[in-house]
Amino acid sequence: MMQNKLSFHQSSASLEIMGLPDYSNNENKDQISIISQWKLTIVDKPVIEGKIEHLGPIMNAFYIYSNLLIKNEIPIYESKLIDIKADNLHIHNIVLKSSKPNVKPLVLKIGNSLLSDTINCFDQLNESPKIRIKKTDISTKITKKSRFGFNKKINFFNFFMPPFFAFCSLILLSSSLIYFYSPFENIEKKELINPE
Amino acid sequence: MTIWKLRNNNPLRKSFVTNNIKLNEFDALIRITVEMSKYLYPYIREIMKSKEDIEQNSIVWNDFNKRFVELIKERFNMDSIRVKKLLNQAENDETIIKSLLILSFCISNQGYQKLKNFLYDF
Repeated sequence: MMQNKLSFHQSSASLEIMGLPDYSNNENKDQISIISQWKLTIVDKPVIEGKIEHLGPIMNAFYIYSNLLIKNEIPIYESKLIDIKADNLHIHNIVLKSSKPNVKPLVLKIGNSLLSDTINCFDQLNESPKIRIKKTDISTKITKKSRFGFNKKINFFNFFMPPFFAFCSLILLSSSLIYFYSPFENIEKKELINPE
Repeated sequence: MTIWKLRNNNPLRKSFVTNNIKLNEFDALIRITVEMSKYLYPYIREIMKSKEDIEQNSIVWNDFNKRFVELIKERFNMDSIRVKKLLNQAENDETIIKSLLILSFCISNQGYQKLKNFLYDF
């Protein structure tokens, strides 16, 4: 069966997606829902290619890193598959780690212009009506050491909420127990039983 | 004319009176910015690229920086500390690069939403 191939270009970067339509879902012939291979070509740099399970984490890495760059956070992204660090304001260091044993990681240095070309290729892929990427393909286990504000907020929330709830429940419990204990009534009852 | 008037809502400008920009006007400005950055992407890219090679003399970057400073001196309130920071050529590299990166990331069809999110997160 012939595979479909779609390309997205932006200046010095191009992204090729190969795959098949999902006929069980009555899709058109030119649609791609089952991605078998992808290839990212950046001028003067080695070709990056892989399977669908690598595309999601790599796209996420680029998006998270670009957000960190803009939001005045420390621009570092680390995961099992890809590391991106800033050498300086203009150059970014990308380390792609192969899933195969005994294969050395691929190191690329790209400037801001190539970074924005790559992000724009990924944007075109996301917006293309001809390619459907399942959410399970894109979302990955977040085991990476990425630093950005949203995570920090969640950690802060998680850190303080359990003790706060525990404190509130203690107050609620102790205040309800007050209804069962009335020292004055007890003294009066004792006096009635022992009139002496 | 309306766009020209809207620019006066910027507190850094000399002509700033009061900030009473409406949400739909703000949205319109974002849409215009996105359309302009789509059109100007090759230039934005070239400016960023000229600064990447340290050995090469970055003529394009220097020209852009010179014009940027000229425009600020001409139109912005020079007494403001934030404006003074923008004029300091040793410190304004980061601000310029980040602004160019934001514009270059927002040239897709969803660029309007992306730029809006970036601005709200600032």
